[in-house]
Amino acid sequence: MRRGAWLATLTLGGLIGWATTGLFPRPPLPPWEAVTSQWGARNAVAAVVLGARLYDTLLEVLVFSMALVGVRWALRPLPQTEGRPPVAESPLLERAADVLLPAIGVFGVYLAASGHLGPGGGFPAGAILGSGLLLLALARGIRALARELPQPLLSRLEYGGLAALIVLGGGSLTLGWRGAWLLVLANLLILAKVSTGAWVVLEHFAAHRGEV
Amino acid sequence: MEGQVATFLASALLVLGLGTLLSRRNLIWKLLGLNVASGGAALFLVALGHRPQARPPILGWGPGPAADPLPQALVLTAIVIHFATLALSLVYVIFLTEHRHTQDVPKLEREEGG
Repeated sequence: MRRGAWLATLTLGGLIGWATTGLFPRPPLPPWEAVTSQWGARNAVAAVVLGARLYDTLLEVLVFSMALVGVRWALRPLPQTEGRPPVAESPLLERAADVLLPAIGVFGVYLAASGHLGPGGGFPAGAILGSGLLLLALARGIRALARELPQPLLSRLEYGGLAALIVLGGGSLTLGWRGAWLLVLANLLILAKVSTGAWVVLEHFAAHRGEV
Repeated sequence: MEGQVATFLASALLVLGLGTLLSRRNLIWKLLGLNVASGGAALFLVALGHRPQARPPILGWGPGPAADPLPQALVLTAIVIHFATLALSLVYVIFLTEHRHTQDVPKLEREEGG
């Protein structure tokens, strides 16, 4: 049974590899330079994600929010686990978190704010800020960090960011808003959304981890 | 050439992930396999946008052909969806473990039948 499954997937992978050998050379590029400068951007991916294919991104952010609502809602009936997670405490980790965290925060916001000019954007910046929060949670303990963070502000940031994104997208799709300010604002809102979402997942997983 | 290496690597990741998904009995292993397979799919899409001697699709980054920005934009959204759906499915694994005290799929199915 197990060997058959591996054989089937190997055959599938071989078929995929064989089918893609004919894909080189590729068809010519669309006029991406024109589209990019029409949106006042230099990074074509930002112009595509937040400009030309904004429907995709809006629905994707909606799916992301729905998944987070599902995480919150499905874990609510389960018992919470008290005490610190079984992570070895070390002064090295705490000092490293204190030193690295400002740099991580500045770098994340910089990536989001300059995502229309170079490599970057709201999604990777949100992942970076989320991993900064993970580092802080490992150093201080997740429950202590959850008490320190202002929870109402976080949820306001999450849902307010979603609402503002929908307003921005609606304005761009119906009223024809264009320009670099739109991309910067949308990247910053996505940063807020993704980083708070990563924190929500982290906190809920740690609070309901159960007994091993 | 680089595009072909990336395509080969992507199909290898896909085989590894799908094989784990099919052959393991533990739910968490299955989800990890699915995530590796989706990483392979993302790499495959990015590799499709590659051109020989291509540069990143950013204005003012030198001459030469640029990589196709469309698959990159698609993958950017797909990665976040992977993260969110993986988190949601792990939540249901937590739920199952809390109520049925096992993550073994054949055992779960047997208890369902009997």
